[in-house]
Amino acid sequence: MLSRASNFISKNRRFIPQAATAVLAFVAYGMGFIYFEGMRNPQVFLNLFRNTSFILISAVGMTFVILSKGIDLSVSGVVVLTTVVSAALLRAGWNPWAVILLVLAIGMILGAIMGSFIVYLKVQPFIATLAGMWFARGMCFFISDNAINIDNRVFRILGQTKILIPGLKELADLQGTPAPYISIPVVVGFIVLLIGIYLAHYTRFGRTVYAIGGDEQSARLMGLPVNRTLMLVYTLNGFCSALAGLSFCLFVSSGHGLYAPGFEMDVIASVVIGGTLLTGGTGYVAGTFFGVMVLAITQALIQFIGTLSSWWTKIVIGVLMLVFIGVQAVLANRKIGDKALDARAVRRRRQKLAFGFGAAAVLVLLAIAVVPGLRGNSYNGQGETTACELEPFRKDEAARLIAEGAVIAYHRLAGPACINEMYVIYPDGRIQKDDGINTTETKIAPTEVENLLKTITEDYGWYTNEIRDTYHVPCRQCFAHYVIVAYEGQEKGVTAVDGGVNMPPGYGFTLAVIRAVLPDGQ
Amino acid sequence: MKQLADRTLRWRSITESRLFFPTVAFLLVLLFDFLFIPGFFTIENRDGNLYGSLIDILRNGSTVSLLAIGMTLVIATGGVDLSVGAVMAIAASVAGILMNPSALRNEVFFVTDPTYTFQPLWVVIGAALLVALICGLWNGVLVAYMKIQPMVATLVLMTAGRGIAQLITNGLRVQITYRPFAYIGQGWFILPFSLYIVAFVLLVTWLLTRKTAIGMFIESVGINFRSSYFSGIQESKVKLMAYTFCGFCAGIAGLVACSNVKTSDANNTGLFIELDAILAVVIGGTSMSGGRFSLLASVIGALVMQAVTQSMYAIGVQSYALPAVKSVVVIIVILLFSEQVRGLFLGIGAKKKEV
Repeated sequence: MLSRASNFISKNRRFIPQAATAVLAFVAYGMGFIYFEGMRNPQVFLNLFRNTSFILISAVGMTFVILSKGIDLSVSGVVVLTTVVSAALLRAGWNPWAVILLVLAIGMILGAIMGSFIVYLKVQPFIATLAGMWFARGMCFFISDNAINIDNRVFRILGQTKILIPGLKELADLQGTPAPYISIPVVVGFIVLLIGIYLAHYTRFGRTVYAIGGDEQSARLMGLPVNRTLMLVYTLNGFCSALAGLSFCLFVSSGHGLYAPGFEMDVIASVVIGGTLLTGGTGYVAGTFFGVMVLAITQALIQFIGTLSSWWTKIVIGVLMLVFIGVQAVLANRKIGDKALDARAVRRRRQKLAFGFGAAAVLVLLAIAVVPGLRGNSYNGQGETTACELEPFRKDEAARLIAEGAVIAYHRLAGPACINEMYVIYPDGRIQKDDGINTTETKIAPTEVENLLKTITEDYGWYTNEIRDTYHVPCRQCFAHYVIVAYEGQEKGVTAVDGGVNMPPGYGFTLAVIRAVLPDGQ
Repeated sequence: MKQLADRTLRWRSITESRLFFPTVAFLLVLLFDFLFIPGFFTIENRDGNLYGSLIDILRNGSTVSLLAIGMTLVIATGGVDLSVGAVMAIAASVAGILMNPSALRNEVFFVTDPTYTFQPLWVVIGAALLVALICGLWNGVLVAYMKIQPMVATLVLMTAGRGIAQLITNGLRVQITYRPFAYIGQGWFILPFSLYIVAFVLLVTWLLTRKTAIGMFIESVGINFRSSYFSGIQESKVKLMAYTFCGFCAGIAGLVACSNVKTSDANNTGLFIELDAILAVVIGGTSMSGGRFSLLASVIGALVMQAVTQSMYAIGVQSYALPAVKSVVVIIVILLFSEQVRGLFLGIGAKKKEV
């Protein structure tokens, strides 16, 4: 029995990293399932996909790049360029479908340009794509300095359509809870994933990519079309980045050049955690899916633990990457080491290695422990931009206004003009705007307010666990938001920042509908 | 005839010098400034201290210069260190929290007293540099002993480093008002004080690498680590040293950067600066695949990057649009260095000779 098991493992050795990631994802989710009641909600499980659909789309393209022994740092640049270009064109009144096709084409062209630099001019992928990222991010500011809101019917439909899951819907009806759903970007993400798996493992293109990643020289000598394949790989990744940008755009329903900071690192981290070696030639597209899931579950767990701030995500991801890379490196070393060195030397080297590694780990831990900052605290909104001192959210004032009968209080800070505005909406349709100096008042129909509240509560799940604080120091031109909504005896205030990749989709939609009724249409 | 041969020889020795290309690039940028920006070269003398756009280039370039010095050694061993920005943030956070620990109590405590500090200056600087050194050591161990690809190994700290920095400062921006510390980045002694720091680090590094065998070891490891292993050079130790030193330099740069803006901000200190540092080294002529290096050329490379930035500001390009301009500069530089393009030019030359 045991020998059969070990035989099975050694036969399928190449699947070990992927299996480890998958097991990790299941165990992490299982732990959350046991400890947190909120995580048992099927909608929370589906939100893992909803919140990371754009990472998944981009990570599939990145897997191909990394398999071919390259790297693409430009994804976040292409993503933000996509958001800005589509927002600007939609504002100019273009047909939304034409916009979608155009931005996809832009992504592919950028990918192809970077690819040709890498393939024909032999520029290191790292440098070429870095220049690509700078170029794309910089171009955003030639188009617009400020964030552009997207208010388009097609984009709204694409972003907010709910796709119900057949089995789960009946279950939810039985329990009387709202039916869990996924969104269109999730479906697109899965289609991209399936196409990616097909391309990687069942086509000539995929085999060539693996061959190039294994040894480019040999691939060339075998007569494989190396240049053409590499060009295709980078073009494909440009396409995936643009597609990811579109789905990110649906998410935040606006576009700006400083959105999605550090997105490329999230993507690369998920590919690495998914078991693809950065040395190229080893890995599976399906593994990337589990890598993205690990990322999503980490985020969700940290959110459910509640006392831990969101930057713990970064640390956990860093540690996971280290573990995966470290284990793979040790495995690879052992393969070479066993043959080349005699047993004693191997043992000595391992001792040295363990010692050095342990010493470094202890030192780093000491360095962290020296500063007694290891206390979980929620971010209370301090931090500022170079443009202005960012003031704290006026939470007390908002709470007082709600107590006095308002239904929605929306406090907005920073932004390009460094504002500090409080909008208060009353059930009778009055909207008060207080920008610190003047107070102005406008009016909408009371039924509109009622509809607004209903939409926010029912469609966007304001009072569910999914809507949570995602505050971090905002980018210099972005807004920081604090929204508090009181409806049917419930009351909840949540903070967030424009363009954060972890902003819950429902929050973005809520902002969009609230902004739509505000006096200046903002 | 002999004179002419001598002259061509001398010309050759100049053009083939490592400093030639970055210096020419720097002069070209300055020429652009001279032609298009009036008053770019005026230098004011206020109370015996010098001010002006040129001085600003030197001063604002000091952070990248410091990073470039450390990065040169790492790139010369055939590696790369992506974590310098994060290490800067960590060092800045440690320094900030030791001077103004109010963030740990989760309160924003606006110190206005310029003589207030929680710990003496030497403890602040020592602790920050020690932590940076440890970060460098960590990278070095991963690369040299765990044999992890440099880009991947340092990516780990790049991702986790900012999280660690935020952990240290409790996620808050820490105000620094302590005047002696502010002198590091804002002090002026005829020239900006940070320039002396750069000059000192450059001098010490140059002495260590060029007056001892370390520089040669680094180059030999970068050119061919296997043959250096067989000729008795301990490749792992050389690499470990290079990464540790790079972390140390990043620590100094972090101190200069946070003292310059009087705040230590875990999110923004040294954001994306690793890219500037790497490009400075590339402009300085050190190949990304390792081998021969020149510290001075890297520092000039850093100044080229800074001069481009400064000139773009001067002609009114938005600071956020700047990356687009920088990317074009990068593309031109890499094209000039690219074998393919050089081959093309040489090919044209050869054909002409035949005719």
